[in-house]
Amino acid sequence: MTDASKVQGMTRVTRSSITGVKLRRRIEVGREVLSNPLTVIGLAIITGFLLMAAFAPLFAEPNQPDPYQSPRDWSNIDVPPGVAGHVLGTDSTGGDVLYGIIWGSRLSLQLSLTVVGFTVIFGTIVGSIAAMRGGKLDNFLMRVVDVFLSIPELIFALAIAAVLGPAFSNIILALAAVFWVKYARIVRGEIIKVKQAEYVASARVVGDSTWNIYRKDVLPNAWTPLVVQATLDMGNVVLIGATLSFIGLAQAGLTEWGALVSSGQSGLLAGEWWVSTFAGLAVVLWALAFNLVGDGLRDVLDPKTEGR
Amino acid sequence: MQVRDYLLRRLALLPLIMLGVSVIVFTLTRFTGSPVGIYANPNMTPEEVEALEARYLLDEPIPLQFYAWISGVLQGDLGWSGVSVAPVTDVIWSKFAATLELALAAGFIAVFMGIALGTVAGVRRNQLPDHGARMFSILGASTPTFWFGLLLLVPFYLWLDWFPLGRSTQEIFTSIPHPTGLYTIDAVLALNPQAFFDALRHLVLPSVVLAFGAMAIIVRMMRSSMVEAMSEEYVDAARAKGLPDKVVIRRHARRNALLPTTTVIGLSFGFLLQGAVAVELIFRWPGLGQWVTSAVLSGDQATIMAYVLVTALIFMTVNLAVDIAYAYLDRRVVLGE
Repeated sequence: MTDASKVQGMTRVTRSSITGVKLRRRIEVGREVLSNPLTVIGLAIITGFLLMAAFAPLFAEPNQPDPYQSPRDWSNIDVPPGVAGHVLGTDSTGGDVLYGIIWGSRLSLQLSLTVVGFTVIFGTIVGSIAAMRGGKLDNFLMRVVDVFLSIPELIFALAIAAVLGPAFSNIILALAAVFWVKYARIVRGEIIKVKQAEYVASARVVGDSTWNIYRKDVLPNAWTPLVVQATLDMGNVVLIGATLSFIGLAQAGLTEWGALVSSGQSGLLAGEWWVSTFAGLAVVLWALAFNLVGDGLRDVLDPKTEGR
Repeated sequence: MQVRDYLLRRLALLPLIMLGVSVIVFTLTRFTGSPVGIYANPNMTPEEVEALEARYLLDEPIPLQFYAWISGVLQGDLGWSGVSVAPVTDVIWSKFAATLELALAAGFIAVFMGIALGTVAGVRRNQLPDHGARMFSILGASTPTFWFGLLLLVPFYLWLDWFPLGRSTQEIFTSIPHPTGLYTIDAVLALNPQAFFDALRHLVLPSVVLAFGAMAIIVRMMRSSMVEAMSEEYVDAARAKGLPDKVVIRRHARRNALLPTTTVIGLSFGFLLQGAVAVELIFRWPGLGQWVTSAVLSGDQATIMAYVLVTALIFMTVNLAVDIAYAYLDRRVVLGE
């Protein structure tokens, strides 16, 4: 056997055993995560919302032509829960509250998946470039990050969404423009930490290319805090998005939870408590579920930073 | 790095970041069109509107407009606020004072309650108070401020009528001078207890609502650093000396646990600033948040710009102050690393 093939054989062996270790570790992590009852509650709520979003047409017949506008029942305005087939009551324009919550779950899912998906990818790219290249580019990118971090997220998003005009898609855009910064920072910090580890140095000695080191050694070891943050942000973006549409930055009459709370606001002071209360409760449950799961993940994956 | 050097570097960076913020927000606000609607009125002829655009350089390219805007800002001119029908600089201080009073009151509640709750939770780890505090903090992080405000409005304003909306009662407001713009302090300066209680009554509900989210962060942090502190050897040593539990907790554990907690106070101040937008809207509090909301809904760009600049400045100043305080409290900290 030549030396080269010997080396190759060795790598193959190590690699397959590494996959086994990884798999076992993953099962272990999963079991540990599920041993926390609060995490399980969170997961159950999330599953509930996912089912609600997926089967929305089965729970509430879609309004034509736009299912994201509540159907108006003009003969039953401001009726309390349980009256005339409106399980959770209606608002001041005869919109069914339950319909709004069910179809609103689709909008929340769309909002959180788009924003978190985009910002995780974009933030990872920016953070990786900054950390892997270092020097002036790193310095420049981090100053840009500083600029974004100098304003609270909601306020930056508010200014952007204001400019783009009142529409739900603009709320998504505004949040995506703001949320990537955190990920860039986390990824950069983790990569710089990982880069100093011995296994990266040994990969470099062996002569692996930077891209390979990044892909195989650096990134997989930097993703833990990213997963935790992304889970928490699935809840955060819906919270902030609901605030923006509560202020009036979504289209009128949209079945978005924050907009529903806003539409029930005047009725609230007249004693019609149900519109704002139920719509707000949906936001709380959504955010609570992702916070519970995010906390659970952090406790298992990253116990050092518990509570930070 | 020396604290002084670090401070100087941060201060030097501050104007640069402010410049970055204004470039981004300005470009964005102008991207979608000219803000001439704020200046024009419906009776104007198209020629008059054009003349107006030319007067405010709105027909020029964006970099030139930015130059005009920033040189105005440097000379203390922040433009015309359409929603207030007055120059921005004329109204911004009263709005700022209103938000400051609200944020300070909320911050006060959040810090003191947060530290107290976090301490109890950390000491009684995995017991009932701990579970309660954890639940409380996770609810605080999950509850939208606007909704919580509305929920409290119904019993305390609608049913019991304990706390009124707005910032003060008109007659009482006009009966005393307002040198600081913080109504509670103005009342104390005027030695007028009636005005003081009036200001306080208006302040209670919005500041409690605003404090909730920020408190959640502080409770969490305080709890986990308290848990850590209680397992340290110096706590065992203090106990071994025969010190009562109260003294050990107060003088030894809590004092050390407070250190890491200071770092999140700056962060939670951001929550106060963004929460103020919804709180001011619901409680008719005439501060920056309410101002910017109406500006946003009517496309008043000068007001939006001024608001973003002021908020960024407050947020960065608070964070800088927290960093410095932290460095002084904990001599082991090496800033800027």
